[in-house]
Amino acid sequence: MRKSFPVEDLARDERFVHVALADRINDPRNAQAADSGSSGRRGAGRLTPERPDAPDAARALMHGIFVGEIQALEGAGRTCWDFEVGSGNGEGIPEVPFELKLDMARQCWDEARHCEISIKLSGHMGTDLGEFSENTFLYEAACNPDPVLRLTGVNRALEGLAIDVFNTMREFGEIAGDPVLEFCEDWMLADEVTHVKMGSDWLRKLTADDKPRQERALEFQRVVDKLFSLGGFRGEEDDSPVRLARRFRELAGFKDDEMDTLAQIAKEAREEMEAIAEANRPAIAH
Amino acid sequence: MEESARRVGHYKWIEMRLFEVLGGWVATVPELDVKLRLGTHCYHHAWHSELWHKRLPELREMNPERLTAPPNDELVAFVDAMTEPEGPDLTIEKLVGAYRVLIPAKIAAYTYHRNNTSTITDAPTIRSLDFALADEFNDWRDGEMMLQSLIQSEAELDRAIAHQAALQKLMLAAGGIAGPGTIGDSYEPTQEAYA
Repeated sequence: MRKSFPVEDLARDERFVHVALADRINDPRNAQAADSGSSGRRGAGRLTPERPDAPDAARALMHGIFVGEIQALEGAGRTCWDFEVGSGNGEGIPEVPFELKLDMARQCWDEARHCEISIKLSGHMGTDLGEFSENTFLYEAACNPDPVLRLTGVNRALEGLAIDVFNTMREFGEIAGDPVLEFCEDWMLADEVTHVKMGSDWLRKLTADDKPRQERALEFQRVVDKLFSLGGFRGEEDDSPVRLARRFRELAGFKDDEMDTLAQIAKEAREEMEAIAEANRPAIAH
Repeated sequence: MEESARRVGHYKWIEMRLFEVLGGWVATVPELDVKLRLGTHCYHHAWHSELWHKRLPELREMNPERLTAPPNDELVAFVDAMTEPEGPDLTIEKLVGAYRVLIPAKIAAYTYHRNNTSTITDAPTIRSLDFALADEFNDWRDGEMMLQSLIQSEAELDRAIAHQAALQKLMLAAGGIAGPGTIGDSYEPTQEAYA
C-alpha cells in the first residue's frame, strides 16, 4: 500500500454522492438563500427550532457531521500509516514520535464511534445515508505531507470546527427538547476537545525549536480555518448558524488571541460570501 | 528475563505494523462497516504496542527501540505481503491477512507465552498478555464475521483461500511472530516425559 493516499481514491459505497467544495461555494442558489433569509443553510441565521427550515437544516448539518467523521477517521488512520517512527530528522519518509501515532490510533477509535453515533442520530432525525452530498475538503487537509501541518490543519482547524458544530447541535438539542441529540453531541464534544488538544500539544512540541515550521503550520491552519468558515457559516455574529465555542476551545489549548484571529477570519469569509451573493444577484433575478 | 524481553520487543514490533496498516486501510475500503471496525481495531493494537513499549524498561531494556525489531527477515517479508493490498476491490485480501493469518498467530504466541512464564515473577507481562488476548479474540471474531459476510461466491472463497495460503507460508518460514520457538518446539521432550 502506498504512503500518502490521494483524495480522489477515497473508497466509498454507492450511497455516497460527492460534490466539490468549489461547486458548493459557487452555487448561485447561495445568493438566493442569502436574499430570502428563509431557505438554505447560509444566511438563514442561528439554528433554532423556531426556524421554518430547522428540521432540514439540522438534518443537513447532521449528515455533514457524519461524512466529516468518516474523513477524520480516514485522515487519522493515514497518519498512522504514512509516517515512520523516529526523531523527525531523517531523510525520506517523514518521521513522527511513537506517541503521536498512538494519539492518532486513539483518534481512529473515537472517530469510528462518532460515525456509529452519527449514523444512529441521522436515523433518529429521519435521514438516510447519502441523502445529502459529501465534499472531501476535510480529508484533503489530512493529505499534507508534513505531519505537523497535517495535525495543525486537521486537529486544530477541522476538529476545532467540530467543537463549534457539536456545541451548536448540543444547544439545539437542548432547546428543541431532544435529549438523545443533546446527550450524543455532548459526548462527541468531549472527544473533539481531546483531539484539538492533541493538535495543539503536538504543534508546540514538534516546532519548539523550529519557528519557521511552526509559522508554516499556523498559516496552513489559517487557510483551512477560512475554508471551514464556509462563507460565514461559522462565526461570532448573532445570526451565525454555527457559533465559535470559546470555552471549549480554551480547554483544547487555544489562546484568546488565536480565537480572536479565528473570529476575524470567519468575518472576512462572511463578507466575501456576501460579495459573491451580490455579484450573482442579477443572474438570479433573470 | 532476556527471553521475555526479546519476545516483548517482537510483540511491540508486530503490533505497530498491525495498527499502522489497519489505520492505513480505512481510507481504502468502501464497505462502511469494515471501515469502522478497522478504525476501532487500529486503536486496540496501538494500545498493545504501548503496553509492550512500557514493559521493556521493566525487563531491564532501558532503550526500548533496541528490541523493537522483527525476529527475522521472513517476518518482514510476511508483513510486506500482508500490507500490500490497497485497491477498493481487495477488502477480502486485507481482512484475510489480518484476521485469518496474523491475529491467530498472535493469539498462539501470546497464549504460549502466558502459559510458560512465571506467574509470580513475570505477572506484569501476564497481565498485559491477558488484556491483549481479550482484544485479539474479540477482533478475530469481528474480522471473521466481516469476512464471512463478504465472501459470497466460490470465486471469492478461492481468492480468500489462495491469499491465506500464500501468507501462511510466509508466516511458516518466519516461525511465528517471535521467530522459531514462538509456540515452543513440539518435538522437544517435556519435563513430564523425563519423569
